[in-house]
Amino acid sequence: MNRDREERAELHARVRAFIDASEKGETPAESFDALGLAIARHQAEHVPAYRRLVAHRNEHPRDAASVRQLPAVPTDAFRLTRIAAHPPSDDAALFRTSGTMSGTPGEHALSTTATYQAAALAWGRWALFFDAPAAMTAIALTPPRAHPLGNSSLHFMIQLFATEFARAVRYLQPWPDRLVDAAEFVEACATASRAAEPVIVMGASFAFVQVLDALGDERLALPEGSRIMHTGGFKGRSREVAPDELLSRMATTFAIPESAVVGEYGMTELSSQLYEGTLRAARGLPAPSARHGVFVAPPWLHVVAVDADKLRPVSEGEIGILRFEDLANVDSALVVQTADRGRCRGSTVELLGRLAGAPPRGCSLAVEELMGRP
Amino acid sequence: MSQQERERRVHAVLQAARRLSDPRDPLGIEARRALPGATGLSGASVELSLVRHLETSVTSDDLGKLVTRAGSAPRVHVVLSANVFTGVVRAVALAVAAAPSVMVRPSSREAVLAPLLLRAITELGKEARFELIPTLEPAPGDHVHVYGRRETIAAIRVGCPADVTVRGHGPGFGIAVVDGATSEAALLAESLSWDIVPFDQRGCLSPRLAFVEGSRDDAERFASRLAVELDQREKEVPRGALSEEERRDRSLYRRTLQAVGQCHDGVASTVGLDLDPRAMFLPPTGRHLHVVRVASADEMERLLVPYRGAITCIGVTEKSSLAARFATLLPGARILPIGNMQRPPLDGPVDLREMV
Repeated sequence: MNRDREERAELHARVRAFIDASEKGETPAESFDALGLAIARHQAEHVPAYRRLVAHRNEHPRDAASVRQLPAVPTDAFRLTRIAAHPPSDDAALFRTSGTMSGTPGEHALSTTATYQAAALAWGRWALFFDAPAAMTAIALTPPRAHPLGNSSLHFMIQLFATEFARAVRYLQPWPDRLVDAAEFVEACATASRAAEPVIVMGASFAFVQVLDALGDERLALPEGSRIMHTGGFKGRSREVAPDELLSRMATTFAIPESAVVGEYGMTELSSQLYEGTLRAARGLPAPSARHGVFVAPPWLHVVAVDADKLRPVSEGEIGILRFEDLANVDSALVVQTADRGRCRGSTVELLGRLAGAPPRGCSLAVEELMGRP
Repeated sequence: MSQQERERRVHAVLQAARRLSDPRDPLGIEARRALPGATGLSGASVELSLVRHLETSVTSDDLGKLVTRAGSAPRVHVVLSANVFTGVVRAVALAVAAAPSVMVRPSSREAVLAPLLLRAITELGKEARFELIPTLEPAPGDHVHVYGRRETIAAIRVGCPADVTVRGHGPGFGIAVVDGATSEAALLAESLSWDIVPFDQRGCLSPRLAFVEGSRDDAERFASRLAVELDQREKEVPRGALSEEERRDRSLYRRTLQAVGQCHDGVASTVGLDLDPRAMFLPPTGRHLHVVRVASADEMERLLVPYRGAITCIGVTEKSSLAARFATLLPGARILPIGNMQRPPLDGPVDLREMV
């Protein structure tokens, strides 16, 4: 057991070194594939579900020449079984999905949050905090972590950002009948604006929709240099809003440029996140994409679109479903397969919606319908 | 309309349906020619559906229940869904039992069987004629029967005047419950495969989940036997094409079960087995069954909680001791013998959830 822990700790340290070097613009001491395969070998030995998967497919990491050759664990597996290389007694964090898809939340167990934090902070700095405002106020449309709903990775990350980058933070508690109280939100914005410091407002997209709907035509001009980070779909928790409309309304309501509205793409099953590069690009900093709807992955996270039948990579620029190779997922699954559609070019991912013209499934039920999701 | 008149109209619909079921009848021939293209099902699958699943008769007892459940209205408008094309007969039977005037809007994807049924009724000179309509225009007091997705039902409900009654028949799925200690596991697996195959599992009664109450060996034996039976069915009744979405979900389902439990990949089908279920996984349509082992009925009940409102029928064995428990737990679900989950009695709508 101690040897397992030591091996795991060493892998975590190597990943953090990779992240650190990448952030500094240096070449990491080892390649993505070398480190990824080491992690995968560890997982094939210590994660029962991954051991079953590689055995069933006869695709053991020891026989692979690159991470791309490894079988991926679908996100649904995190809901059905524990995907972890360590016992529950060693959990330092247990992130849960919302469970809106199936009624049963998926779980992502971490033996340490240090690697998650290193990844989140490094890429958060790249996309959102590169100009490091000396004093910044954070408004979080989430409860603090001690709250019963505070066990999501998003809440953890927002709290991490608030702690690391903001002078003051205001968490807006969910109410029984609504995610955010609009009056409380208005008051928080007014207080932050009086300080004349840049504000960052962070939250799930559906929480913003609820706030914007409640505000109507009211304007809450935020101080210069303010920005918004929003993430995720609507999950049936607010009305659906087209991305362009949401972007426009956020910019108008808070009197900030659209480039300062930055979308994040992440999921409970991953330890790394992707961001739109709009804010960086607007400030003249290099970014692989300056478009909304196109997310940039950090160097320690590779994303590739795969075909629907064999889950094999499609050519760059072709549409497929997204597979994530996340070095920071030391404790669980290095390679995660989602059902999300997208198009990858270099380190960028363009997220796409449901399959166009997908025929209905007759009167049999789709999971999305079951849980009231579109 | 009198009770006798309503029953006569239902019989007229069934008499017309017999022509469509008959492979020698010109209308039956036309149905067989057009339906594979319209539904995506294989020719053998269409044949199976027309011969085995198209309703052509009714007992007097069931007919009495159907007429009662149909209700009464001056006019009934029927909005049909695609894929489970045989559903048109029951839908029209319910409508003509309820109203002297019936309008039917076929699905844009499958607009074959409703016109053929109308032709059969007309050629037989029967009174149960209905009108095919492109758009829905209900008048106050009318009833609208909508078959399809929740979004479709909700949109129609919103669009109808307040004094129009909308009866929605939404999506759902079936589950099967197998006693692991049964000596008839092979027979049950074969019977269940015949419930999975019709309409390539896109029907609201199609089983998608199966519980094996018993040991791990019992569950493994049943799952592997079912996989063999589904492969055999593929030779007899080939599956039609899957949509890209279904193919994606099949790939993900297979990969998930390879990690979580056991996965029996067949030629066209998949049987996944979870011996230690933490939660249920609803597999995609297209002949995929998710089998879980449970140690007790209590465990089964716990796993079903998120799905309770979606279950339209429960397949059980004749000797099952669980039928009464399910009748309480899922009062809207039909309890049917395994092997006949896709052949419920013609005693009302297929989906009885709204009747509860």
